[in-house]
Amino acid sequence: MQLPVRIVGIKSYLPERILDNEELSLTTAGWDAAKIFEKTGIASRRIAAPDQTSLDMGTLAAMRWFETEEIRPDEVDFLIFCTQSPDYLLPTSACLMHQRLGLSKRAGAYDFNLGCSGYVYGLAQASALIVAGMARNVLLVTADTYSKMINPLDRSVRTLFGDAATATLLRADDTGESQIGSFAFGTDGEGGRDLIVPAGGFRKPRNSTTGIGHVDEFGNARSEDDLYMNGGAVLSFTLREVPILLDRIRALSGFALEDFDYFVLHQANKFMLDTLVRKLGLPKAKVPYKFESFGNTVSSSIPLALSELVREASLRRGSQLALLGFGVGLSWAGAVVKW
Amino acid sequence: MERLVSSLAEILEIDVTELNSQSVLEAYNWDSLAMVSTIAMFDELFDKSINLESLRACKTVGDLEALASA
Repeated sequence: MQLPVRIVGIKSYLPERILDNEELSLTTAGWDAAKIFEKTGIASRRIAAPDQTSLDMGTLAAMRWFETEEIRPDEVDFLIFCTQSPDYLLPTSACLMHQRLGLSKRAGAYDFNLGCSGYVYGLAQASALIVAGMARNVLLVTADTYSKMINPLDRSVRTLFGDAATATLLRADDTGESQIGSFAFGTDGEGGRDLIVPAGGFRKPRNSTTGIGHVDEFGNARSEDDLYMNGGAVLSFTLREVPILLDRIRALSGFALEDFDYFVLHQANKFMLDTLVRKLGLPKAKVPYKFESFGNTVSSSIPLALSELVREASLRRGSQLALLGFGVGLSWAGAVVKW
Repeated sequence: MERLVSSLAEILEIDVTELNSQSVLEAYNWDSLAMVSTIAMFDELFDKSINLESLRACKTVGDLEALASA
């Protein structure tokens, strides 16, 4: 079902520091800069400053909306913040962001914790609030600082992830020119162990031993305080579930593959997208690759790709998009968007 | 199986003539990325989903060939 909701636009913020492959190659034994680029398609990543958090970055992305004529702070009815790196266990980061943005005291604000599937889940929540009449303007903010959870000597993840934030404005729109809908979701908690930071929550609080690094069989070092990714398991899950996900949103929308102008997949890396594009049988020209200068930015990857398409004037109002997010959880979601 | 060997040579970044069924994987660049690439290759060539554990058990190219035809 297509819902009368429009994505007004997407603002973004990228931290200043650039980590390029030349610098990375100093700590990735056996992988020179050219090899990193060939395998990942990533030339550089943005890295948050030591004192800069996801809340800081998300706020900066959202602030950019108030430099436009589109919306004033007091017109935002809901702020939804997707992050896995909150400032505090409590209070909720969205409440602090609400204050910094100067939103109305009558506006709702909450966080939710998802990674690479998070943007599509956020679109679903925002659309549901709007269609139910509980909000007219919703600000959906994504931000993460995976760099702060990555061991500098773990090339398996350090080569891939970058920090970023985006802010998407969604608004009720009954003109039929723009719509969001045909959502499909999926979850497999058994794969939770395949993409995880083991210590730091209540199950395993950080202590003097969780921070001790170990070198694995491939020469990558990490501690239990660091991000671990089982790349093989994540690839297998993606190849298994994403084709089914695309079929589901196609069936729900009644669209054929040819009806889509773009398939915007989670921007994991070149290897992952190449493999998926072949498996899905998609025309390469319709699958944007937008990670060369910022890497895999988790929940910001799909909105960043969309904003790059807007910047290139590749998207026009009414363009038909399939959005496909998949990752940590394991969690996945797809949506059809009429831009 | 020829396709397996030629794809594997690409993954290991060596000439295909260097590989035969007796070739020991560890003698080459058989790292985590090569294993992930091999999982993708099995999916594409044989429509087979294999896991990291079964790949780790493979010591030679012949072991991989056996996994493909299992």
